[in-house]
Amino acid sequence: MEHFRLFVLPFYAGAIFLLITLLFKYIYWFVGLSREQKRLFWRSLPTRATWKSILEIINESLLHRKIWRTNPLLGYMHTSFALGWFLLITVGWIETYVYFKGEGVPLYVDIFFSYYVHPIFERAFNFSLIKDALLLLILIGVGLALFKRIRSRVMGMKRTTKHMLGDRIALTALWLIFPARLLAESLTSAEVWRFGGYVWTLSENTQLIPPGIGCGSFLTGSLGQWLANFLPARIIEAQHIELGAWWIYSIALGVFFIALPFSRYMHIFTEMPLIFLRNAGLRASEKETTYDRFQIDACSRCGICIDPCQLQSGADIQGVQAVYFLRDRRYGRLTDAVADNCLMCGRCQQACPVGIEQNTLRLNSRAKRAYPDAPNRYAYIQGKDPSTGEGKVGYFAGCMTLLTPRILLAMEQIFAAAHETVWWADKNGGVCCGRPLKLAGEVDAARKMMNFNKELFQKHGITTLVTSCPICLKVFKEDYQLEGIEVLHHSEYIQRLLAEGRLHLHAGSETFTYHDPCELGRGGGIYDAPREVIAALGILKEPAETREHALCCGSSIANTAIDDEGQRRISGQVATALAATGATSIVTACPLCKKGIAREATIPVYDLAEIVARAI
Amino acid sequence: MTSWGYSISRPRSIDIDRNDMSYSKELLREYPELQTCIACGNCTAACTAANFTSFSLRKVHTLVRRGEYQGMAEELEKCMLCGKCRLACPRGINTRQIVLTIKKHLANRSR
Amino acid sequence: MTGRVIIIGGGVAGMQTAITLDELGFKPVLIEKEESLGGKLCRWDRLFPTMTPAHEVLDDLRNRLGSTSTEVHTATTVSGIEEEGRGVTLTDGRHLEAEAVVVASGFDIFPAERKEEYGYGLYDNVYTTVDVERMFREGGVRMANGQTPKTVAFLHCVGSRDEKVNQRHCSRVCCITGVKQAIEVKQQIPDAEIFSFYMDMRMFGPGYEELYRQAQQQYNIHFIRGRISEASPTIDHRIHIKAEDTLIGRPLRMSVDMLILAVGMQAGASNEAFSQNRHIELYPSGFLRPLNQFAGNVRSSSPRLFYAGTVTAPKNIGESINEGIAAAYQVARTLNSKRP
Repeated sequence: MEHFRLFVLPFYAGAIFLLITLLFKYIYWFVGLSREQKRLFWRSLPTRATWKSILEIINESLLHRKIWRTNPLLGYMHTSFALGWFLLITVGWIETYVYFKGEGVPLYVDIFFSYYVHPIFERAFNFSLIKDALLLLILIGVGLALFKRIRSRVMGMKRTTKHMLGDRIALTALWLIFPARLLAESLTSAEVWRFGGYVWTLSENTQLIPPGIGCGSFLTGSLGQWLANFLPARIIEAQHIELGAWWIYSIALGVFFIALPFSRYMHIFTEMPLIFLRNAGLRASEKETTYDRFQIDACSRCGICIDPCQLQSGADIQGVQAVYFLRDRRYGRLTDAVADNCLMCGRCQQACPVGIEQNTLRLNSRAKRAYPDAPNRYAYIQGKDPSTGEGKVGYFAGCMTLLTPRILLAMEQIFAAAHETVWWADKNGGVCCGRPLKLAGEVDAARKMMNFNKELFQKHGITTLVTSCPICLKVFKEDYQLEGIEVLHHSEYIQRLLAEGRLHLHAGSETFTYHDPCELGRGGGIYDAPREVIAALGILKEPAETREHALCCGSSIANTAIDDEGQRRISGQVATALAATGATSIVTACPLCKKGIAREATIPVYDLAEIVARAI
Repeated sequence: MTSWGYSISRPRSIDIDRNDMSYSKELLREYPELQTCIACGNCTAACTAANFTSFSLRKVHTLVRRGEYQGMAEELEKCMLCGKCRLACPRGINTRQIVLTIKKHLANRSR
Repeated sequence: MTGRVIIIGGGVAGMQTAITLDELGFKPVLIEKEESLGGKLCRWDRLFPTMTPAHEVLDDLRNRLGSTSTEVHTATTVSGIEEEGRGVTLTDGRHLEAEAVVVASGFDIFPAERKEEYGYGLYDNVYTTVDVERMFREGGVRMANGQTPKTVAFLHCVGSRDEKVNQRHCSRVCCITGVKQAIEVKQQIPDAEIFSFYMDMRMFGPGYEELYRQAQQQYNIHFIRGRISEASPTIDHRIHIKAEDTLIGRPLRMSVDMLILAVGMQAGASNEAFSQNRHIELYPSGFLRPLNQFAGNVRSSSPRLFYAGTVTAPKNIGESINEGIAAAYQVARTLNSKRP
């Protein structure tokens, strides 16, 4: 062990700790998965999903392609760290392999290669040049990261994440690693420059390097040369500074590794198993599972989710955004105030470069925190049948639609024009669809509502279920399991009537703008049906943020915490954005959106059904 | 009618001197907007559950504000949380959160 | 000195301002956006609490105005008020000069369509108190099919005290209007059952409480304390309403032949444009904020800009007319002090 240096110890301590912690966490979480989840995972190996995962890891964990799409500078910063460091390690491994073919050298030689080996006579391949280039790439990334702290707007972010102590320690260590490496390698180079050295120090067959040549490449070599001329020879010879720099480098690595599992940098490794599990088909559900842990720890707290959140941009509500929710949940300090304060509009999920299921995680947190359900709850609805009429097509207005009777009346007119006989599930007030309960975390209670309505649908033998409420639509589609009953949003139903020639409309030249309801668009993937219907009636003018990027009206029932003023302000934000299109009226396809926007709008707000009924 | 083994109209007067007003105070501190209720009953009028029961959110939260907690958690179980009352409330009170928060608190209290 | 004073709005407040200014020796210029003078009062049949025919008040004001030298511009709309009250700009681009401006542009009736849940403009037999006045003037309350209603429900506070339509304020006069109309319906149809859904009965004026009592005792109007949440049509074309009987604490449902919405007073649509003038401030409700609510009710922060009537807050006829007189005297005080 004659080449052993004490400074490698912090690195070792960190690396071993990190390895054990990661293995423990991942195994613990994996074991905690349900039998079905595990089966999904094992079955996915090795299939196309495996290759897809590998490709995705390259694209997202290394290249960070989604972040490039958010902002190129931000993308560069992330890529430089991830890909740069990865390549630096890979090149290091190859270099070690090339130099010590077959000779088993300790790991520390690999990690602190430039301390031990001073390759200057590379003919076939210039490793030093590549390593210097990679180091420069990363250092620019570090510079950008520092710059982001000061001027985040340049990087496409109005607001950045507020970090906690563990993160700050890890962050400081991470930022220190690369300047420390530059300094350490340069000082080693300076020493070689001044006094000469050996090409490598392990082999018997060492080659002497005369002074005045140095080692390293354009970065560490040049800096080394400059240091050799700048620093007094006495200091260089004593090696204190050089060793000190290597100590700092090693300590920075060690601290970073130890802090990593407790910090946001846990995402570096966790994103990989997450990608495999996700591509195997695992999803978060309404009850917490250990799969959630993979998602939560895969959050890098990059803060890209903060800007799209209208709670902060519209209502000045801070500290509740996806990044903070995931943080609080991860460290076991989640409060109702944070868990409940979310519109579940899905804009953060849309923006998240890691693809974390924000809404479902938020939901199962609420479910965990919810008040337990009493077994006899809702006994009062047993045996009730509030429905009227008979027909193969059922219409479910939803609770909110009863407060927007224009929609109800318009649907009546549309059904009549299409000569459809309709079974009205809840025209005079029915039982709620269950989604509001579910969104509040009362999933067991919600099931009671769902069972009631499902039985009612089956009892009346409907084959098509139309609803004008996207909230009801989503729960019918996702939770009801209505075999033999086709569930349609009224926009889809109207589109179908038009396509089948069962409904004829008088087209006009009125200009409409369309607001995508969250539960219908991002929540249900229905963007085109309402647009096609509008196109059959007049001219559609899209707002600046539309479809997947559409704003939320603020009235979402998913947010139980926001106050009226907050809702109103967000509605105002949307109303302004819609009015800016210059359209003469606003069209939406959700009773809640309609009410919310109408409250603040200066131009009329209609449901899709209303403008259709008007044009019959 | 299902018998729940309690009644929300207890056979005595509301005695604010004797009632434990601590939770009432806490609730109003947390949601001062509840104090703005003008008792118009729009929440109960719009209530989806009120189509099937005599559930009155207005009555329940008023009783809680007066320190009358017994039977209230069970009464709130009738709520379907559909949010129609919130959409209807002319004072902009976050009625759904009021339901959730009272229910949670009273459940913890009885434990 | 021209002595010209522009009065924006030819309702009761504006007309009274002109009459008084003329008496005080000024030259009033009355600008009214409608074809004729009288404002909202033209749509009214009888006035609370005395049941005085509205035309008596109007005829008197019109006659008195007719004998003045007031320069009247009807069908003329003001788009802006000159910063120091030295004139106004009209929507047709013309500019009228004056030495002072009195803003008496009044209020707007809350559009009941905005409370979609009540089905106004959607179902037959849902009316507003304004519609009912028209019916009285045209011979009596009738349903859409021409028959007289047997059950009538009044709903108070439509577009008042309601955050959901951004109308936080109390419109004051709708309570007594609802009571007056309930009595009138009962007078017309003695066997009709009349239900009045209210939150608070605010009987603020002389004789109002007495009229309320009369409605209860003499006319057997049923007052139910609770706001109607929604109305829906029944199969037999009646109106099904939902409320809570808050005094009992239970949901209440009933069907009526006619639902009458006591619509509130909202800030005039022109207030926003007027407030471009730096001396004209708005309340959050959108009404104009006078200099102060005590001795400065008809004054603004400019010595040449004055207010009269419901442009600053909901008021009844008597109060509006009084403010017309008050505004005229304030104008006189300012302009006389500037005379040589």
